[in-house]
Order: sequence, then structure tokens, then C-alpha cells
Amino acid sequence: MSLIAPVRRPDLQPRRHLVPVATSTSLSASDSGVLAARKTRTRRRPRAFFAVVTAGVMFGVMVAQMLLSVALESGAYEIAHLQSANKEASRSYQEMTEDIDRLASPQHLALNAEALGMLSNNTPAYLRLSDGAILGAPTSGAGFARLVSSDGGTLVPNSLLANVPLVTSAPSSARGESMSTSGAPTLVAPAAPVALANGLPGLATH
Amino acid sequence: MLVVVIFFAVVVVRLIDIQIVRAAEYDAASAGKMSLPATIYAPRGDITDANGAILADAILKYDITMSPRNAREFERGSGDQTQKVSTEQAVSEIASLTGQKPEEILGSIASSLAANPNADFAYVKRGVDVETFRALNNLEIPWLYFEQIPSRAYPNGSVAGNLLGYVGSDGTALGGLELTQDACLAGKNGQETYERGADGVRIPGSTVTSVAAKQGSKLRLTIDSDLQWYAQQTLATQAKAQDARFGIAVVLEVKTGKLRAVADYPSVDPNNVDATPEQYRGSYAFAAPYEPGSTMKSLTSAMIVDKGLADFSSKVDAPSLMEFPNGARVKDSSTHVPNLTLQGVLVESSNVGMSLFGEGLSPDQRFDYMTKFGLGQPTAVGFLGESAGIMYDPEQWDNQTFYNLFFGQGLAATAVQMAGAYQAIGNDGVRLPVRLVEDCTSSEGSVSTPALPEPVRVVSAGAAKEVTGMLEGVVTHGWLGPQLTIPGYRVAAKTGTAEMSAGDGTYSTSFIVSIAGLIPAEDPQYVVLVTLANPASNSSAAVAPVIHDLMEQVIKQYRIQPSTSNSPYWPVTY
Repeated sequence: MSLIAPVRRPDLQPRRHLVPVATSTSLSASDSGVLAARKTRTRRRPRAFFAVVTAGVMFGVMVAQMLLSVALESGAYEIAHLQSANKEASRSYQEMTEDIDRLASPQHLALNAEALGMLSNNTPAYLRLSDGAILGAPTSGAGFARLVSSDGGTLVPNSLLANVPLVTSAPSSARGESMSTSGAPTLVAPAAPVALANGLPGLATH
Repeated sequence: MLVVVIFFAVVVVRLIDIQIVRAAEYDAASAGKMSLPATIYAPRGDITDANGAILADAILKYDITMSPRNAREFERGSGDQTQKVSTEQAVSEIASLTGQKPEEILGSIASSLAANPNADFAYVKRGVDVETFRALNNLEIPWLYFEQIPSRAYPNGSVAGNLLGYVGSDGTALGGLELTQDACLAGKNGQETYERGADGVRIPGSTVTSVAAKQGSKLRLTIDSDLQWYAQQTLATQAKAQDARFGIAVVLEVKTGKLRAVADYPSVDPNNVDATPEQYRGSYAFAAPYEPGSTMKSLTSAMIVDKGLADFSSKVDAPSLMEFPNGARVKDSSTHVPNLTLQGVLVESSNVGMSLFGEGLSPDQRFDYMTKFGLGQPTAVGFLGESAGIMYDPEQWDNQTFYNLFFGQGLAATAVQMAGAYQAIGNDGVRLPVRLVEDCTSSEGSVSTPALPEPVRVVSAGAAKEVTGMLEGVVTHGWLGPQLTIPGYRVAAKTGTAEMSAGDGTYSTSFIVSIAGLIPAEDPQYVVLVTLANPASNSSAAVAPVIHDLMEQVIKQYRIQPSTSNSPYWPVTY
């Protein structure tokens, strides 16, 4: 390995700080004339070039700015459109939330449950699975009482439910039709609660 | 040279004046010409029940206004589809949507024009909902205008209406929790300015928000809206049947002090406040103190047992009428055998027996106990218009009051105060602060809970348990037992019938009847208290069906399991 002596790459050789400079006397007259002409030419060309470039850039900036503002303006219409769409959507949201909240009110649920023939069991009883013991005292449904008054009204008034019909008041044949056409519930005056001649229908299970 | 200097000096002075001295004024003037102010609407916070069901909701309503002088025929539609619409037709279209009569609106136009031929403003209808607003907007009537009004909806109507209160048409809170919790609920509207082009479109990047809007926080109550409805419905049914003047039903959670239902009859629908007389728009449960009557005997018994003066089996010879050495006369409402135990005194609700057992307590001791039970001071709820009740210092007690206080006459307490006292008995003698507000959650999500006083040890756990056992005896032995019994469950309860004040320092002929109960008796979870003022039957039997049904509902609602042990059956006589 010692055979290969370290050799510097030519371009990495140290540059001398002092180098011989050709004096003007060493140049011929014709040489210096060509040089001078070349010098003036290279000095003039950048001026024109930069003027053109500057003008071009300025023009470009103006065009870009115009395009940008056109784009921005059309964006403004889009924003205005979306904002009004947003407003409409929030109105729909409010309308539906109000509907859901009032339909979920205890008065509405109780009135409809009783209109459908449901009664409240006030004597809960439990069947313990581990030993089959009955906790509490189960009673038959005959003793169950209505909660809301028999005229279909509730004693806990809710003025928001004034125009909301009971689920039983819309005839079942017309209901599907009205749903498919308008989607809005038909306003029908509340009908009398279902009469239960033979006790509770729900108890006839096998 | 001098001229030039003066010229420039003038220019510089003027420049300083414009740019520095009056800069703000000019800025404002220029902004006023270019930009439009707008209010950023910050909705009021919702009120929900313990489970998050919405009880009060911020909504937008709309005022419909018109320009009477422009109310004339117009063209509807665009392109070839236009059609002429006469004023009469437009008015009848509006009227059919707002539910008014066309003559009403035409009359309003005519009267406005009669007053001022150039009238440019008149209300058509105020506060219509979104649905109506949209339908009206779709009519494309050029002389009809709409104004957005921040408003309030109470989807559950009068469920908890007496607690919630209401807000005025201008959005200010006017009653109940809406008012006392306004600091939590109120939103703060913001201000912004923006510039807009000739076609009304907002110029992008021109919006400057000067005041940021702050949404109101959400208030969560301890109330359960389903139970609250049930309590109100059951109470109202019986109050109507008994033709009662007013009624109260309270359900209080023993282990937490949280109110789960506070029902008032008559109830108010905050959506339609005007339908209820003004005196019934608040909550009598907090605001109307009454003489508790015999329900007070549970508290007196707890004092007696806690001081070691007697236990359930202690004997007393109690006649039905007795004159005490200090001259006070005490009479029982019904005749009974004289040989009663303390259990028997509670079962027979003997005023004489209770007075004989209680005599051993000094007035100061009794005052101290009553204070610890929460009487004579407002509860921790701090409800709007809440009463502290009436409780006199021992120095003010006369000879009769000394005895009357044993059985709940001569002092007044609110229904919630009495429920709080029973809570202490159910909770091993420790009274917890009564709570109506669970917490307040800001729109950023930070939660604040109300500051509460410390729990108070009123009587020993042993005394509290013994009293609960004796109250169970009231149900198993008492005359209202069959009406208060719930199959499978141990129930502790005490009835009370008290004369009502006539308002002039004397007693009227009407009675206020109540029953306070604890379920299940072996480990009380809930206090249920029902009161009816001036029922037709003048007997505590009038409230028995309400408290029975309400206790059953509490059992179902909170899945309380049937009792596995038996009631004590302590002897009534000896």
C-alpha cells in the first residue's frame, strides 16, 4: 500500500496568494481594442434586459393582482351564498329541534301511550334468576289506572303541543299517503282515546 | 424664503392635526361611511334536567312588519312567469299563515295611513316561529319585512315551569331560575363591522370584530323531567278532585340532597305565562311557608331519642285532652287509649303524648335542634323569593307555644325545608344542603358547581334509625296504612294536618294537609313529601293517593329493589 503515494487532486491544490499578472504593456493594441469593445457591449445589454424584466414583472404582478381580486370577488359571492345557505340550514335545524323536543315532552308521550291503550303498572315486581324468587307483589293489569285525564287532556299544560295530533288520530290508510306526498304531519283534531272493552290488548299473550 | 417656511409650517401643522390630533375622529367618520355595523347574536344557554333533557332552549322568533305606504299591487315571479298580486290577495295570504283575519291587517294598514300618509312601519304580527316566517318569506311580498328576535322555548311546557321562570319578549330574565341563574345563562352579544359592495355582498377581509360574542352557559338541574311531570300530573289530578287551593310535591334524594322533583299546583307554562295568575308563577314549594303540623312530630321524636329521654318502647299516660301546669291546653284530634308507647304516640299522632315526652327538652336545646334541621333559614338553593319560614327565639315562646311547637304549630316551614329535615332523618342524622342546580357548563366546556355549605350532624345515626323505624310503624299500624302500603317495599311516613293562618294572626277554618315519607325504610333513598292546601276532605287522607303513586313512580324510576327484610312492628300500647 505504501506504493501509492498521496497525490492531491489538481483542483484542490493550494492556490498561491500571489500570482503573476499580465500588464497592459504585455497586451497588443489590437487585443486591447477588442477587449474594450466587448466590455462596453456586456455593460449595455443588462440595462435593457433589466428594464424589460422589471416592466414584465410589474405587468405580471398587475395581472396577477387583477386575477387574484377577480378570484376573491367571485369567492365573495360564494361566501355570501354559503352563508345564506348556512342560515337556512340553521333555521331548518332549529325548526326540527323544536319539533323533536316538544314531541319528546312527557305530556306528548303520555297522551300518545294512553291513546294507544298503554297503562302504567304501579306495582313493580322482580323475578330473581338465581332462585326464582318473586320480589315484590305482582298484580294483574285490571287494577292499572290511567294517568292522564279521560278527556284526552293533560293537567300539565304545554302550549307548544296545541296543534300536534295524537298518533291515533290520523287514519292509518291516509297516513302513508300524506307522508309520501308532503312529508308533513296532517293536522287532525285529537280523537277520543281508544275504548278498551275487553281489558288490555297487550295482556293477551301466550 | 420666509414665505416658504411659513407655507411648510402651515402644512406640517395641518398634517399633525389630521394624522395625530383628530385621527380617531376621522377614522370613525370614514369607517362610518364605508362599513356597516352588525350584532353577532350570542344565544342564551339551555336549561336541562339531570339527564340532559332540554327544559329551556334559545330559539329565534320573527317580528313581521310592513310598510303601509308601499302596500300596493306588485308583480311576483321572474321572466315570463310574473303575475300581478293585489294588496287584498297578499293580505289574505299573510293572514292565512299568521292565523289572523285579513280585515285585521287591512285595518292596520288603513289606520297607519290615516295617522300618517307616509307611514313606513307597522307590525303585522310579533314573535312568529321559523315555519311561519319561512312561509311568509316565500310569498315575496316587497312591502313585508322581518326582524329576528332572540327568544326562548320551553319544549316540556309547564313541566318544572314554576322552577324555570321565564324571560320577557326583550330577552331579559323575569322569574325563577332564569333570573337567579342569569349569570350562568346569559349570553353576551358581539359587535362587528363589515363593508359591502353595491350589490350587498360582503367584501372579503373587511370584517372587523370589535366585541366578541359570548354564548350563554348551559345550566343543568338536579330535576328529573319525567318524574317531575309525573309528580305534577298526579298532584294536579288530586288537587282538582279535592278542589285544593294549591299543592306541592317534593322528591329529595336522601344520600345527595338533590331535589329530583318539585311540583307545584297550579303550574305555569313558561311558553304562555299569561294563562296563569301572577301569584302562581313562582314556586310555593320554596316561597310559601306553612305550619307543618304533625309531620313535625318526627323531628321532635328524633330530638327526644337523641337526648336519650325515651326510645320507641317508652311509656306515657296520655289522655286525649290535657291542661299542663303552665296553663297550656293540648288536645288531640281523635280519641285514643291513654297507655301509649312513643311508637304509639306517633301512630295515634297524639299531641298530648308528644308534649309529655318532649317536656324534658329545654327550649334552647329544641331551638338548636330545629336550626340544625334547617328550619328558620332559607335552604342552600336560594330560590327566587324563597322564604326562611317563621321560627321564633325561645324568649318569644309563650306557654302555649312551648307545647304547640312539639306538634308543628307556632312555626312555619316551606315544603322544601321539611323535606330537608326528613332527609336528615333518612341519612343517619346528617342533613345535606338541598340542591336544585347540578352545574353550569360554559360553551368552552368549563364546569362550575354551586358553592354549598357543609353537611350538618343533627342527631345521632342511632336516633335517626329509630325514628325511621317508628315512622314505618305509622304505616304498618296507622289508620292510613292501607293507603300508604306498597307491596314488597318498606315505607316510613308521617301525616300532618295543620290549621292554616288566616293572614291576620288568627287561624282560618281551612287546613293544610301533608304526608312526608321515606323509601325504602330499611335504607332510605328518597324523601317524598306531598302537601295540599284546603282540600275538600280537610284530612291528610287527601294526599295519601298522591304520595302513594309518587313513591311507586320513584321506585320504578330509580329501580329501587324490593325490601328483603320485614318491618319492625314495635308495640303501640303497653
